[in-house]
Amino acid sequence: MATTARSTLTLGMAVITALTLTGCAGFGGGGGSGDADDDTLTFTTWASESEQAAFEDLVAQFEQESGATVELNVVPYEQMFTNIDAQLGSGDAPDIFRVDYGNLGVYSSQEQLLDLSSYFSDEEVDAFTPAMWEAVSFDGVPYGVPHQTDVSALLVNLDMLAAAGIDTSTLPTTQDDAWTWDEFAEVATQLRASMPAEQYPFVVNWQQGGVLRWLSWLFQAGGSLMDEDGTPQIDSPEGAAALDFTRSFYDQQWVPPASTPTGTVYADSLFSEQTTAMAFVGSFLVPDLDYFNEFEWTALPMPRDERGATDLGGNALVATADAADPDLAAEFLRFMASEDAMSSFCGATNELPTLTALEGDAVEFAIRPDLMPVFVDQATTIEPQDVAQLTSPAIAEIGVAMSTELEAAFVQGQSTEDTLANLDAAISEATGS
Amino acid sequence: MTTAAVRDGRRGGTPPARPRAGARRARRREGLVGWAFLAPNLVLMIGFLFVPIVVAVQLSLQETRGFGDPEWVGLENYRTMVEDPDFWRSLANTVLFTAVTVPIELAAGLGLAVLLNSALPARGLLRTLLVLPMVVSGVASAMIAVILFYESNGLVNKVLEAVGLSRVAWQSEGAPAMLSVILVAIWLRLGFNMVIYLAGLQSIEPELYEAARIDGASKWQQLRLITVPLLGPSTFFLLIMNVIASFQVFDVIFVMTGGGPSGATSVLVTYAYRNGFQIREQGYGAALGIVILLITLVFTFVQWRTSRTRDLAG
Repeated sequence: MATTARSTLTLGMAVITALTLTGCAGFGGGGGSGDADDDTLTFTTWASESEQAAFEDLVAQFEQESGATVELNVVPYEQMFTNIDAQLGSGDAPDIFRVDYGNLGVYSSQEQLLDLSSYFSDEEVDAFTPAMWEAVSFDGVPYGVPHQTDVSALLVNLDMLAAAGIDTSTLPTTQDDAWTWDEFAEVATQLRASMPAEQYPFVVNWQQGGVLRWLSWLFQAGGSLMDEDGTPQIDSPEGAAALDFTRSFYDQQWVPPASTPTGTVYADSLFSEQTTAMAFVGSFLVPDLDYFNEFEWTALPMPRDERGATDLGGNALVATADAADPDLAAEFLRFMASEDAMSSFCGATNELPTLTALEGDAVEFAIRPDLMPVFVDQATTIEPQDVAQLTSPAIAEIGVAMSTELEAAFVQGQSTEDTLANLDAAISEATGS
Repeated sequence: MTTAAVRDGRRGGTPPARPRAGARRARRREGLVGWAFLAPNLVLMIGFLFVPIVVAVQLSLQETRGFGDPEWVGLENYRTMVEDPDFWRSLANTVLFTAVTVPIELAAGLGLAVLLNSALPARGLLRTLLVLPMVVSGVASAMIAVILFYESNGLVNKVLEAVGLSRVAWQSEGAPAMLSVILVAIWLRLGFNMVIYLAGLQSIEPELYEAARIDGASKWQQLRLITVPLLGPSTFFLLIMNVIASFQVFDVIFVMTGGGPSGATSVLVTYAYRNGFQIREQGYGAALGIVILLITLVFTFVQWRTSRTRDLAG
């Protein structure tokens, strides 16, 4: 009797063990691209509300035209690249994913992406803005399509400027009459003098992953981060000018003290809640700001010094090297980067196109179209050498060092010389030059 | 006696072979049942604890982004760590965070438990309110804390201003930022400490207090000489749990300050996450994870060996 009970118990435990094991297997997930049939593509992206609607429309259109199925998987931005890294590591990556130009360099240099050389003719390549095609290429090989771009401009709260005695009818509107650094400093000084202590003249969007936007100031000063071989060039008079000017933002209390490169307070929030009168913000945030802002606001070009410059925002679409059906994946990328698809996507999301045919006023923007010419004009200040630096495979690692060093310079009293020397060393280490 | 003699003795001995074999079978069966009981937990522990630890050790000896070809670098990541000032700063911040939060959590948890163990109006409601933060997700609580401590127009600064005090730079100065995460961490864990102490208090015989009162012991003497010593096992358990939780604090700091400003609230786990997932130095991130594991193990081992009340714990 006792033996029978024990046997039953043993059997029961064996069943529990088996079930537990089955459960474990369940945690592993599955359904990688390898299982997909030939006419199915998996596409992972993050998206704002307007971007998701635009992606869904275009995916439906592609499915109708090609007869293929596209499984669109929209994930939160915070999880996007942690997931993609893990999926690439386990051979379970989607066929297509969306990636910013900085991260694209990391993946392409590690041979994780599909080489698109044979899928795009010279004529098709020439249809893209050269700088943007450069942004998706590594060692001359294209690894994605530049789907859209995005640049920062200076948003201003017209009520707060008027309250400080600034004539808002004479604000600059084009690159030709953009404020110089000195004029911008004068405006900031005037605003500071008229504002209570808890409000600030402006805020720059270089927090967290946006730290590379500091390079806009370096480029405006006529400087550069590194040359084409990855040799650092930041320790220069231009680098010192950019660092000294941007450090003065904190010294003069022109920007909120919490808005440092490692800060967690973002420029668009501070502008929207009227803690600052001006903010450097990308056009992709215009729909959100249009919804939240309860005051009159407009967009101005970024200030310029030796030249105009802005950051290279925006994203590419890439196919993974192990895509189940590379031909279909390339066909989807070609469709998404076609003139019609790009025009409707950019128009719906206030983002900028990467096809030369859509430059100027070819795209009809859905929200605040009156502001978009400033962003379109600002995009013309991006130069090929800026793009080459901003899409270097080492840029992600350099960005981390920049974040630490700029923070030390801005609020911890680290000297200009030490900061530039440290950045110089960090660039050398990252590029191996 | 030689081996051969033993063998011979067995062969010619009186004890029957069958019962011996039966006993062996029974023992084996008993052993199997024991293993069967252990199996589900063992499987889970092997799958989700031991294998990941072994993989993490392996990863910590490599330079890898998590994809592509890893490079074997031996102990290089650990050497880098020794020379990395950010690692030492994060370790110092972790020790500071632990040294401040753990005693306060224990003392306040005990105080609240004693208070709520007495005949208090709305005792159940108060207990529930104190335990509530424990059942809310850490990230959600930290999001609420962000709104409270938001520097430019957060509730805390507005209240401070309303009562005539100056605003505090919760997000732009190191010391206030650390204070804000410590306050939130204590708020989140207080309920857990209180519940464990409450359970401990209810197992203390009331006769002990009665005898002490008859002997003329004051309330303070009763607390110091009866309550605190008899709650030794609970204190031991909470000490270990609180120290481990403080050494592994992540969600509150990640959401509230991201380790800033200027690394002032960077602790070991946020630093490991930053390296492993933000900078994609997964080898270095894994090495940091192994160091956190070793520190926690050493602390637990030392506590285990030195605690007089450990055998009563659990």
